[in-house]
Amino acid sequence: MSAQPRPRVGLFVTCLVDAIRPQIGFATLQLLEEAGCVVEVPQAQTCCGQPALNSGDDRDAAHLARQTIAAFEGYDHVVLPSGSCAATIVHGYPDLLAGDPDWAARARAMAAKTHEITSFLADVMGYAPAGRRLNASATYHDSCSGLRELGIAAQPRALLSHVEGLEMRGLPGNDVCCGFGGTFCVKYSDISNAIVTEKAEAIEETGAEILLAGDLGCLMNMAGKLHRRGAKTRCFHTVEVLAGQADGPAIGEEAS
Amino acid sequence: MSALPDFKDRAKAALADPVLKTAIDRTTGNAERKRAAALAAFPEFEAARARGKAIKDHVTAHLDHYLEQFERNATARGAQVHWAADDAEARAIVTRICLAAEAKLVTRAKSMLGEEIGLPHALADAGIERVETDLAEHIIQLAGEAPSHIIWPAMHRTREQVAELFKAGHQPPPAAEDPATMVQSARRVLREKFLSADIGISGANFLVADTGATCTVTNEGNAELTTTPPRIHIVTAGIEKLVPSTAHAFALLRLLVRSATGGEMTQYTTFHAGPRRPGDADGPEEMHIVLVDNGRATMLANEFREMLRCIRCGACMNHCVVYRQIGGHAYGGTYPGPMGSVLTPVLDGLAASRDLPNACTMNGRCAEVCPVGIPLPTLLRAWRRRSWREGLEPGSVRAGIGLWAQLARRPRLYRLATRIGLPLLRLFGRGGWISRLPLAGGWTDHRDLPRPAAQSFMDQYRAQQKGRK
Amino acid sequence: MTARDRILSAIRATLGPGKPPAQIAAEAVALLDPADTARPRLAAPALPDAFALKATALGTSIDRVAGMAELPQAMARYLSAHGLPPSFAMQPAPELAALDWQGLAPHPGVAADEPAALGLALYGIAESGSLVVHSGPENPILMAFLPLHHVVVLREATLLPHLEDYAARLSAQAIPRNAILITGPSGTTDIEGSYVRGAHGPGFLHVILIAEPG
Repeated sequence: MSAQPRPRVGLFVTCLVDAIRPQIGFATLQLLEEAGCVVEVPQAQTCCGQPALNSGDDRDAAHLARQTIAAFEGYDHVVLPSGSCAATIVHGYPDLLAGDPDWAARARAMAAKTHEITSFLADVMGYAPAGRRLNASATYHDSCSGLRELGIAAQPRALLSHVEGLEMRGLPGNDVCCGFGGTFCVKYSDISNAIVTEKAEAIEETGAEILLAGDLGCLMNMAGKLHRRGAKTRCFHTVEVLAGQADGPAIGEEAS
Repeated sequence: MSALPDFKDRAKAALADPVLKTAIDRTTGNAERKRAAALAAFPEFEAARARGKAIKDHVTAHLDHYLEQFERNATARGAQVHWAADDAEARAIVTRICLAAEAKLVTRAKSMLGEEIGLPHALADAGIERVETDLAEHIIQLAGEAPSHIIWPAMHRTREQVAELFKAGHQPPPAAEDPATMVQSARRVLREKFLSADIGISGANFLVADTGATCTVTNEGNAELTTTPPRIHIVTAGIEKLVPSTAHAFALLRLLVRSATGGEMTQYTTFHAGPRRPGDADGPEEMHIVLVDNGRATMLANEFREMLRCIRCGACMNHCVVYRQIGGHAYGGTYPGPMGSVLTPVLDGLAASRDLPNACTMNGRCAEVCPVGIPLPTLLRAWRRRSWREGLEPGSVRAGIGLWAQLARRPRLYRLATRIGLPLLRLFGRGGWISRLPLAGGWTDHRDLPRPAAQSFMDQYRAQQKGRK
Repeated sequence: MTARDRILSAIRATLGPGKPPAQIAAEAVALLDPADTARPRLAAPALPDAFALKATALGTSIDRVAGMAELPQAMARYLSAHGLPPSFAMQPAPELAALDWQGLAPHPGVAADEPAALGLALYGIAESGSLVVHSGPENPILMAFLPLHHVVVLREATLLPHLEDYAARLSAQAIPRNAILITGPSGTTDIEGSYVRGAHGPGFLHVILIAEPG
């Protein structure tokens, strides 16, 4: 027998990346291929259902869970560039479908092979980027779902340490929520604003040129606040830097 | 501020109060640092937490057994045990004991259960003078307020504000505004009250089933001064406070103190087993214990059972981004913060408090610091589920989620919608940003929105794949 | 139905038939086993050292003396060091009354503004630096709370390693009305979280640690 067959990975780009920042999806795709995966992008994907789940609308959340499971369960692994969407599949789906005899086992099986991208690269594929350089200073915010529901903290930092020239600066309160919270940020926008204002102040105080995080929702919140405040901080998803794409436009910058 | 009927209005008023923010930052910042240091010095914390959780679950699973055992042993020590199914019954029992004793002056050691059942108002209605002896409760009694935190009830007040209250409320007023001088002034004023009270009322941190003792923990020593000199000692306690034995109480106390204040042990940990014995040098002649259900037996039966593990340490609120912005009063219930957002719908009804479980980012920090492993975000989500099911969520939210879900459940239609929607949305932007967007003021009032892509990832990817073929 | 019946029947409706009490008790005991993995280690190998480290960290002062006979001198030393009068409240315990108090003036009652009081601890707990006091005919509880300076005599022989060891002693004897663990002087952090000593109870806690066995 020759080497192990390359794992087949279903890439779930998530609804926010799909609409707001496709670059993150392509960076994820590139990294997965570099890591030796065969990547496919099922056309039946839309949203993981998190907004419904967090609003208490279990019926719609369960519909989307079944749809997503049906689209992805045939792959060896399911990978997402988002800790919170991955956590929805890993923890939310088995919970949502626990009482459904046709789907409970499928939800658990799906959960067992679903990964957030940086943890998949570091923990499952043992991948490290090679030949990447970015002469800049950056700081990293730990998005809450990835951090607390999936234990993602060391993996992105370890991967980023392979990018030459990148100076990582500590962010005080790196594990404190940015105030996004999905629909929370519009339902309770005054409170959300107060939280993200403190986060933006902390980011600015690091003096870092770049803010990195692993969830586009949180990044949009922080980037949007930083821009409103007139800060010059540029914001990228971690995978964009890992894939060597941080020489392109940051979040909120248009390609020229 | 707390008079505003709507959570969002109360929150907005709190956010506009820079003095409140200063006070919250000082106290919660301190609490967070001290807890972290206490845990760093206690490498066995995770094991202790697992044990604490198991102890609480064990008691919950045998709650009837332990209640009866406690009652038997407390009665054997001479205490009188009363049962109250709800807050009104609990108030009535306490008031009846006070009136029967012709009590004029009652001293009280801080108890959140007492707040939960509305004891302060009930005593006032019965014409009984109530003196709060915990320093923070003394401060808010002078201010005519409710607690804003379960460990530091006056944490919303800065030292400057406390100085104003003491200047008006202490005779003679304190000589200076530093905390030490103000504490001395309160010590002097309250000392007379301790010794002249007819009845002392306390709560209980633990009810020890195998000895029939109640346990209070304080750092000030006010509980013992409240419960020892008067003729009568009344304890009001929730039925979830039971522990099998003194050793189990200690296992939980290690978690409680470190999580609450970052200390290792409270200065005074006192077990009260009945009234004065023959020959005792001091102590009350009567001890009454009021066991209060008030929704707890219902929680035992529903999806909120795990909340019965709560030991009222306050760590969840100290580490909550929402609490740290709006403080405790904005929540509008007896208990604020994450644990309060689970409990208030039980106590006040979901219709009156549906905002609380929703006003949470689900970041999970509360569950991370909870010393008895309560999955607070999961319980908050359970309230959201009920609120949705019972139709309590606003129509705009239901319509928004419903419309979006209809699209998301139809991938082809969803693709079409993004194909039409993204270019439309881009029209509102300039450069890479959208700074004003109709119907999205919740976002754009406070922050800019990155302009969406002209073409979705899925369309770009499909085009690429076609190009490759 | 009484409230008691309503509460218990609601609980039983949820929990179903209970296990035999002996089985519940055995499960409860098993929850605490093994003790060492879920509690802090002692601050030092020897109990007196461990106790002293924890107690002093909390602001308790300690004077270690060889025997009970030296107690009056140690008390005199403490009182004069703090500029206190020679008159102080003393717990009415025979082993204290039997000592020669020389120039000092102990008295039995405790006044509302008593400057200092001297009492005996039943046990000390090394894990936490706690002193244990039980109420009784010879032990007014207010003696530990009214004075500004609380001086406590603790014999090294009564030191227990952990809180559980005290719990075991407690359950092996007649339960007192009040059992109190005193761990440092009275304090509060209620004004902006800043620590102030002497909130309601003693602002000063002093332990005279006696080396000789009882």
